[in-house]
Amino acid sequence: MASPPTSSGLRPRPAEHEPVPARRGLLSGRTHRGLVVATACLLAFGPAWRAWSQAPDLLENERAFAFAARALDAQTVEARFVVAPGYYLYRDKLHFSVGGAKKDPALPRGRMKHDEFFGESETYRDTIAVRLKLDRPTAERLPVTVAAESQGCADIGVCYPPQRQEVVVAMPRDGARPGPWVEAAPVKRKWFR
Amino acid sequence: MMAGRASWRAVALVALAAIVAAALGLYVGDARRSVPSLSSEALFALSLPDAAGQEQKLAQWRGKVLEVNFWATWCAPCREEMPQFVKTQAELGPRGLQFIGIAADDASKVKAFAQEIRLNYPALVGGFGAIDLSRTLGNTVMALPFTVVVDRAGNIVHTQLGPLAPAKLRSVLDRTL
Repeated sequence: MASPPTSSGLRPRPAEHEPVPARRGLLSGRTHRGLVVATACLLAFGPAWRAWSQAPDLLENERAFAFAARALDAQTVEARFVVAPGYYLYRDKLHFSVGGAKKDPALPRGRMKHDEFFGESETYRDTIAVRLKLDRPTAERLPVTVAAESQGCADIGVCYPPQRQEVVVAMPRDGARPGPWVEAAPVKRKWFR
Repeated sequence: MMAGRASWRAVALVALAAIVAAALGLYVGDARRSVPSLSSEALFALSLPDAAGQEQKLAQWRGKVLEVNFWATWCAPCREEMPQFVKTQAELGPRGLQFIGIAADDASKVKAFAQEIRLNYPALVGGFGAIDLSRTLGNTVMALPFTVVVDRAGNIVHTQLGPLAPAKLRSVLDRTL
């Protein structure tokens, strides 16, 4: 590593000693930038803040349990739920179908949860993914509808009604790489009615 | 040159202020519009079958302090708080309190659970439509349990998403009865 060059005579003034430019006009550059940032923040986070202020601490059903699916190969679809922190899904309330045909995939083990009335039940948190086999390979690029029914709750003590979510994935040709995840379209909020 | 820059800044400031004001106005206006105007009229217009299949008009309980609880047998937190409602109904019923359960569920499951906890107030069966109704009463995320307290004059005085803690329930009722 080179040592800093020694010098004599004039040296560049260190940046932190640069004089603050005199205030010109109505706003200094810094205030101006601050306002731009503040406005950008307001525009960016306003909708989020509004959504939050309406329903403190609680997500809507389809956001608490975000469903997505992708094609793995010509005969297999992978479906997943991303469960928001503080929420859980009941294992025995999960049902899947592909192209209208019910599937009975191997479900991963869940966590045991004790309910006063239900006794022990198995629940999922974080992300759970399952593989759904089609009865026969599907023609390339043919769209198939992957549907899931689920029911879950939030730890703070509310439960959501069973919901059905579906996505349409295009099947790849045999030997191709897995397709992209297709997220169930969240119900769009109308910010400006 | 300096003057030109200053006036440009002034224009920028005004423009920014306008954007901020417009954004705020839109959010606040939108928020105000999307808060449902809480009215108990939707409730009193309702007629639902009870667990025995008997049609019940909610208007028959007008003039009482109503505690309308939206629940379901598939909702563990709902089931957990209901024995406390049974106790409160027995205690405060004579003072004019009337609990009404509206279940987002099937009649057979409602009936079985009502017997299990010896429900002493009407258990109406609303199916999943009950959750839509609760939305018009302020349940924006449409989760259960959701409870609405209506005073004798028909004003909604409290809405609660999630379990009603006994102390909270007590203070709301003491205020309203």
